[in-house]
Amino acid sequence: MLIVSGPTGGSEHDGGDHPERPARIAAVMAGVDDLHLGTDVQIVAPYVANPAQMARVHDTAYLDELAAFCQAGGGQLDPDTYASADSWSAARRAAGAGLAAVDALRQRDDGVAFVVARPPGHHALRDRAMGFCLLNNIAISAAALTANDERVLIVDWDVHHGNGTQAIFWDDPNVLYVSTHQWPLFPGSGTSQEIGGPRALGRTVNVPIPAGATGDVVRRAIDEVALPAIDDFDPTWVLISAGFDAHRADPLADLALSSGDFAELARMVAGFASRPGRLVLFLEGGYDLGALRMSVAATLGALLGDTYQPEDPTCGGPGAEMVDQARAERDGALQRAGPLAPSERRIR
Amino acid sequence: MSPLQKIAVGFDGSGDAEAAVRWAFELARQVGADVVVVHAVGLLEYAANRGAAVELEQTVERLTREAGIDPARVHWHVGDGDPCSVLIRAVFAPVAADLLVVGSRGQGAHAGLLLGSTSHELAEHATVPVVIVPTGREGQ
Repeated sequence: MLIVSGPTGGSEHDGGDHPERPARIAAVMAGVDDLHLGTDVQIVAPYVANPAQMARVHDTAYLDELAAFCQAGGGQLDPDTYASADSWSAARRAAGAGLAAVDALRQRDDGVAFVVARPPGHHALRDRAMGFCLLNNIAISAAALTANDERVLIVDWDVHHGNGTQAIFWDDPNVLYVSTHQWPLFPGSGTSQEIGGPRALGRTVNVPIPAGATGDVVRRAIDEVALPAIDDFDPTWVLISAGFDAHRADPLADLALSSGDFAELARMVAGFASRPGRLVLFLEGGYDLGALRMSVAATLGALLGDTYQPEDPTCGGPGAEMVDQARAERDGALQRAGPLAPSERRIR
Repeated sequence: MSPLQKIAVGFDGSGDAEAAVRWAFELARQVGADVVVVHAVGLLEYAANRGAAVELEQTVERLTREAGIDPARVHWHVGDGDPCSVLIRAVFAPVAADLLVVGSRGQGAHAGLLLGSTSHELAEHATVPVVIVPTGREGQ
């Protein structure tokens, strides 16, 4: 069973010819439709995130300022990021869509949820919009889960490092953040030596990979660098920052993945969930509409046992050495940091 | 207090940023410091105009000549990220600046609001002193 939370953002928060645009939502839903799921898909209406839910990860001063900025008509927040008059309500629905997805899975206790919502979130910091993102959607859902004593694994396979998500959970031992991302590239963070704060050493895993890297390199990064941390963490929920801009057709970056690679990654990450009904995908980047549609269909198809695969997985690109280097640098940083947190999993 | 050795100045090609660079050059001449002109490459610039940084570097070369500062004391640094994050990182190696300089409003900043203001964010988060150069005051 696929639970789609949304779609939301298909007409609002419109920046004109900006690549993070409402038409992305129609492309995503076309990808869902390509699977012809019939009664195996359930559409869930997004919540509107309330102040207390947002304040778990954002400063209230920032929230107030963003709301007022949008109410005044909006404008550019930085060279990349815009807000329009309706962006505040769109962002709250995008954040609430994640919360609705989690609740829907809790009620069913099986299935996979996909949050089809924009604006995206993983660059949004506690006190600042950034990189097309206003509210950190995945962080708001993860924080709601940890408030209920869950241990949350976030896998971020967007081509850009999720600096906002990392920063929000930097010192939180109940969230494990894993990112593979092109390097060097915006936002410039995400080195393998960034391993988490004093209370959460090892709870951040970064594997930067070079332009031109193919799907086998990303899988190797998860397998060889992230897997030990994931095994040790033993998550109860798995959330995916599912950006599809690592696709070779994407105009904003230079990795060389195909839609088939996202299918392979999805199968791999789904295996980290503690049991059925504990996996949620959040739409992040992905700016070539055709690639976005194919990648969404391939990803969801893989999770639902469908054989839909419009493109083969890729291999042979550069980056294996960089993955090995990331593992060595991370191990070194962990050794320098001293003994890891005690075996007690849940730390308050 | 140690003498000022390296000044990092943000540069996005805007008029306000040019004013900040001129002010930083003048200060550097007076105290004998090096200047690192820092340019942040965001998501859209990476996608749309990968030659933009080269054009901006040429502008900095012109400003260097106009200021009469020793070109060997002027360095060019391009970093990935938003302007605020890239400037905050300029405090650390390899730039290792001990003063940050920005114009009062760069590209994308929204007049009259704190939100989206690189200078405001820097003032809040930077770990070294920050100078915000109002347009028209760079020679003073």
